[in-house]
Amino acid sequence: MTAVTAGRLGHPNLGLGVGLRSVHFDHILRTQPDVDWFEIISENYVDSGGRPRYVLQQLAERYPIVMHGVSLSIGSTDPLDFEYLKKLKVLAREVNARWISDHLCWTGVLGRNTHDLLPVPFTEQTLRHVVERLRIVQDVLERPFVLENPSSYVTFTRSTMEEHELISRMAEDADCGLLLDVNNVYVSSFNHDLDPEAFIRALPHERIVQFHLAGHTNYVTHLIDTHDGHVIDPVWDLYRLAHELTGGVSTLLEWDARIPPFPVLHDEVLKAKRFMGERLAPGSEKDDKDDRDSKDGREDLLSAGGSLVPHPLHHIPPEVE
Amino acid sequence: MKPHATPSLDAVQQWFQAVVTHPGGVAEGAADEAAQRLIRLDRGELETIVRRSRRLTAEERLSIYANAYWARLLECIGDCFPVLRTALGEDVFDGFAFEYLQRYPSRSYTLDRLGERFPQFLDETRPSPELGWPDFLIDLARLEWTVAKVFDGPGVEGRKLLTHDDLQGLPPERFAGSRLAPVVCLRLLAFRYPVNAYYTAVRHAAEGEEVPIPAPAEELVAILRRDFVVRRYTLSRPQHALLESVVAGASVAEAIAAAAAVSDLDALSDDALAAALQAWFRFWTAEGFFQSLESRRRPI
Repeated sequence: MTAVTAGRLGHPNLGLGVGLRSVHFDHILRTQPDVDWFEIISENYVDSGGRPRYVLQQLAERYPIVMHGVSLSIGSTDPLDFEYLKKLKVLAREVNARWISDHLCWTGVLGRNTHDLLPVPFTEQTLRHVVERLRIVQDVLERPFVLENPSSYVTFTRSTMEEHELISRMAEDADCGLLLDVNNVYVSSFNHDLDPEAFIRALPHERIVQFHLAGHTNYVTHLIDTHDGHVIDPVWDLYRLAHELTGGVSTLLEWDARIPPFPVLHDEVLKAKRFMGERLAPGSEKDDKDDRDSKDGREDLLSAGGSLVPHPLHHIPPEVE
Repeated sequence: MKPHATPSLDAVQQWFQAVVTHPGGVAEGAADEAAQRLIRLDRGELETIVRRSRRLTAEERLSIYANAYWARLLECIGDCFPVLRTALGEDVFDGFAFEYLQRYPSRSYTLDRLGERFPQFLDETRPSPELGWPDFLIDLARLEWTVAKVFDGPGVEGRKLLTHDDLQGLPPERFAGSRLAPVVCLRLLAFRYPVNAYYTAVRHAAEGEEVPIPAPAEELVAILRRDFVVRRYTLSRPQHALLESVVAGASVAEAIAAAAAVSDLDALSDDALAAALQAWFRFWTAEGFFQSLESRRRPI
């Protein structure tokens, strides 16, 4: 086992949390489940003047809240959106967000937003650009900030380093925390023919503040980060490795499509406990393989529309009488 | 530029966006002038920019982003206008939304604004004139967008609102000269088709049950939010005129005059008129239409 350095940049281990989704509002308010903490999608609340924000305020009185965004676009060459940052800051203060996170990606340029987490080339230019912007973001937010490795589906020929090198140097230079999405490591590594364990081993573990877990869809030729199902065994194995290397950090399950009843979600993240202790006997206490294999996705790719798309952002349907 | 030169981060991002958001797909996107201006590629040269994997070509890998872009945003637009999507059917709706996203791509950090110009777009393009009901589509889109905005916009939950008792104690002449402050979430809409009734019918329809498109008819509606739930009220023409005047800042007397101007209200006897107005204000205050009342002396 690798030596564990003083971890998490001094931030607390909040335990096992789940992503707050509006379909569970009533259940959570009614039953006050024994969940360690909640993560919100920041964009669903920063502008809310209605029930979503009201529910969040109530939950923030009882549970630790972490804000997870999808629109910072830290890698974009467009200017930072200071109106958005200001709103993040206001909401973070309101709910006492333990930290704020987003992704190492860009979402659009020339004023447009694709609402996707688009990949950056891994170059010195990207590194300088992202670090400079991270410093500004942290100065504005005045709250701990952590950045997540996204799932990606392409790499660029002009990249001059591996993703883990860019992330590691970025975190050191900008002095920020990392959100290690274990499922994203698995998805990207499969898509780019890389070794997910090597990726996790290469990171600065003392800077990892949070883990994400999620399900994905296997299209045989590639994986897509759909957040629509159970965490598969190989991802749990990576989680166990990450847990050993970091000494354990706040862990959160994301489930964003085909969302099951809340207890299913909660049970899923509680499985993480099995991977925190001593190494388990091979094959014991594991779930059946649940990697939802699709038919070969190749023939779908060049035609319009896939059946499932990654959903970084949610629509909260209105309640109407 | 030729691919052997190293494009800047800015050029790569502009190129990538042009390619994966092109309505014709990745190959057309890469061949389009917008992308070629940034990175000049001959056919088959995509892999000088994006690596292939063991299983997929560069074009196939880029197509994951291209497919996701359109699929995600079409789904989001549909979620913003669920009743309109039901009315049109998914394919026809997606056709309109596909055109809309090309004309008005998202420029906001939030998807909540994605459908902001969709009613306007429908008005500009007047789709389906052969079906004779573009006004129906436009009105229904306006209704659904208003419902969404009222649901998550500013509200008055937890605040004291004007009650009927507050009005009861006022001398009639003082009430007539007063101005009513509507709640911040009150919206008044005038439709050319009864889309509010249609909206209700679709929501209450059994699965698979088709709700017929209604014939044109004026429908006037008030929308507000109470206890975090959006409420809808059908209004008569004088009620709508009265409330519109109130929202515009007129005094109660001026608002009543506006209502009379669009109806035969002033043909009523004084007692009948007073009874009608009292019933309206009793209902509106009970439903939380007004925040407060400003008389010449002091706000209530």
